[in-house]
Amino acid sequence: MSADPQAACELPPNVGQDRPPILELRNVSKRFPGVLANDDVSASVAPGEVLALLGENGAGKSTLMNVAYGLLSASAGEIVVDGNSVQIRAPRDAIRLGIGMVHQHFMLVEPLTVTENIVLGMEPTNSWGLIDRAVARKRVVEISAKYGLKVDPDSRVMDLSVGMQQRVEILKALYRDARILILDEPTAVLTPQEVHELFQIVRELVSQGLAVVIITHKLDEVMAFADRILVMRAGRVVGETTPEECSEQSLARMMVGRDVVLKIDKGPAKIGEVVLDVSDLVVLDDRKLPALKGVSFAVHGGEVLGIAGVSGNGQRELVEAITGLRRPSGGTVSLKGRDITHDDARRTIAAGVSHVPEDRHRRGLVLEFDLVENVALGDQRREPFSKHGILNRSALDTEARARIKDYDVRTPNEHVAASNLSGGNQQKLVLARELGRNPELLVASQPTRGLDVGAIEFVHRRIIAERDSGKAVLLVSMELEEVMSLSDRILVMYEGRVVAEFEGGQVTEEELGLFMTGGGRTPTEPSRASEEDTGA
Amino acid sequence: MFSEVVTPELFASAVRLATPIALAAIGGAVCERSGVVNIAMEGLMLISAFAGVAAALLFGNAWIGVFVAVLASVLFSAIHAWASINLRADQVISGTAINILALGVTGFLMETIFGHPGTTDTVKTIKPLMDLPAGGGGVLGTIWQWVDVVFLSYTPLVYVGMFSAVFLTWAMYRTRWGLRLRALGEHPRAADTVGINVLRGRWVAVLISGFMAGLAGANLTLEQVGSFTENMTNGRGFIALAANIFGRWTPGGAYMASLLFGFADALQLKLQLFSDVIKIPPQFFLMLPYILTVIVLAGVVGRAVAPASVGKPYKEKG
Repeated sequence: MSADPQAACELPPNVGQDRPPILELRNVSKRFPGVLANDDVSASVAPGEVLALLGENGAGKSTLMNVAYGLLSASAGEIVVDGNSVQIRAPRDAIRLGIGMVHQHFMLVEPLTVTENIVLGMEPTNSWGLIDRAVARKRVVEISAKYGLKVDPDSRVMDLSVGMQQRVEILKALYRDARILILDEPTAVLTPQEVHELFQIVRELVSQGLAVVIITHKLDEVMAFADRILVMRAGRVVGETTPEECSEQSLARMMVGRDVVLKIDKGPAKIGEVVLDVSDLVVLDDRKLPALKGVSFAVHGGEVLGIAGVSGNGQRELVEAITGLRRPSGGTVSLKGRDITHDDARRTIAAGVSHVPEDRHRRGLVLEFDLVENVALGDQRREPFSKHGILNRSALDTEARARIKDYDVRTPNEHVAASNLSGGNQQKLVLARELGRNPELLVASQPTRGLDVGAIEFVHRRIIAERDSGKAVLLVSMELEEVMSLSDRILVMYEGRVVAEFEGGQVTEEELGLFMTGGGRTPTEPSRASEEDTGA
Repeated sequence: MFSEVVTPELFASAVRLATPIALAAIGGAVCERSGVVNIAMEGLMLISAFAGVAAALLFGNAWIGVFVAVLASVLFSAIHAWASINLRADQVISGTAINILALGVTGFLMETIFGHPGTTDTVKTIKPLMDLPAGGGGVLGTIWQWVDVVFLSYTPLVYVGMFSAVFLTWAMYRTRWGLRLRALGEHPRAADTVGINVLRGRWVAVLISGFMAGLAGANLTLEQVGSFTENMTNGRGFIALAANIFGRWTPGGAYMASLLFGFADALQLKLQLFSDVIKIPPQFFLMLPYILTVIVLAGVVGRAVAPASVGKPYKEKG
């Protein structure tokens, strides 16, 4: 694929750079078996600069940065630090050169303390060769004061919020005297307030002379915080620009290679009968502690009810209780007036509940199974898919082919293992199974997690299509933008309770964020504060 | 009957019976904290028990026996390390293979060296470290007798077990090695990204486990029994695995848990003598330590959280 002429705001390289780069990647290529993940990519970042590496999943952003950090070795190309060509064979080489990286999945040892995590691998020792805990703690406190990264050095990491854990990761890099900080999808798991704080931290770091590279696929963040934007598609750099010189729309076009509908078009909701009625639901988590402390709500036909909340406030248990994966210890769940509180997953499916689980690898699909088998899961007992316990292969194949076509799952054929599909196509496959069953209620948990713009657009359109055909949709998502743009009504969950309810389109991200973190006004009064367009 | 059962000898016997389990379990705790399951401890104990006796007979010195026992166990644990760390084999399979191998190797060498199956010739066992005079009469004499028997009457490796439980617990929580070890078993990639050599760290842990299992085997034959009998470990390696879990993956905890198993064993030995009086068949008491193992492994006694990455092979980079 060649770079498109349509990349309207493409500029000559290195525009806006007044200082010499501290890190340069020159003509880097990285070949995996069968894939060219990076194809002759060049990028650079200077001290005091925030470079955004923008692209869809699989565009090669993380691969490129993993090469810079020594987690992957490049097939070709050169890495230059401070003007000198360097060899980075392992993370320790990168650390030595002043490169730090905060990975998308945190590299923290949860049972250890903040201090232990930060010094791990570079522990200060006393004259006996033992870890000098006092010195370690002191250095952590010093660094966190210097950059305004407040965190308790003695907490165990497992007890910290995700935002705090991210600070620990940044501190880890700073403790190693990082001059270049790479952040891989740093906002994916944060609340709006945390995102705001993160970018303040990034500003502080940059003002103190660090170079920061942010890998992301979120257009609004790039526009708000980057000094320079490098857009990647299919392993190549397809454009370089600055926020001043382009728009979200033009960036999206560069990223995807075609025009993308960023805003969801949906008509007014045609609210029908109550489909799902949850009353006083109490559910315990894996540690037998109450995760849901008496939750009540209803979802009507023709309506998307969105649940907003920071991960870990009972959303998972709620979804599992409704879909028959977890037994509630109190309260009732009923579907169209039928009590399904104690139904297992099989009976819940039969009652008309479909479930798009948050983790498509562990729960949504059996990755080793082929597409046909994955489509059949949950319906395998039904005729014509099977009879007397024996699968009807040809009926399954026919059905699977039809659904694969219907849901635009891109695959060589229906007999490849689900693990071979890209994330977006895997999620389409899950939708093909769950929606193809024609449910009364769709429970979608994080339905677009980790998907790129194109796939997100598809999933959103399908969810709205369900709603428009009169079905009930319960949407649980950590992505506020998603909850806000899809939902007709929004509930905010905090510590196992519903703490606020809003009409869709009548609340701002900031307001939601406040309730999500336990703040906010009295939860009884629905917001009339803002009707402004929050999509931009 | 109570005073006949609850004697200082009962507790001393509990400590002695606990020692081979504890030595192995302490090593197991180190090994599992690094992220490698060592189900091979049973086989390692068996091999070292045999190697110890054979070497002691050959050289006429029990301490050379201990050295050879440890060497043999460390060598066999290297097989486990190679298979499960470098080749990324399933750790349970690799461990099971070593257990079966150990059974075969010891049986085969028994016939080759001693010319007959069953039991080897007997070696002179290692003497208790201290040989203190018995106390006189009266209350003081009784107290002295309890102290002497329960704390001061043991052979050297029993004290090595106690010492290593304390030392390794301290090392695990207070040294750089210990911090890195715990990181390996929880999140090896995190350790890798801060420049810790995951494979080397796991190798060291497995070899320490082999070393400790070697001491366990040596204790069994060279300090306790004096000869080797085929399959004489009789599940102690698996009990050690349970003790390690019960002890929440800490050397000290593993030692305490082993004491419990040792006590169950000592009690059943004692109660067998009284089976006529209490009308329970001796076979029932024989089951006690194993029943305890099943209960512990079934997670009835407190739910412990294993190191997050235990049992998962680590691949360095793509």
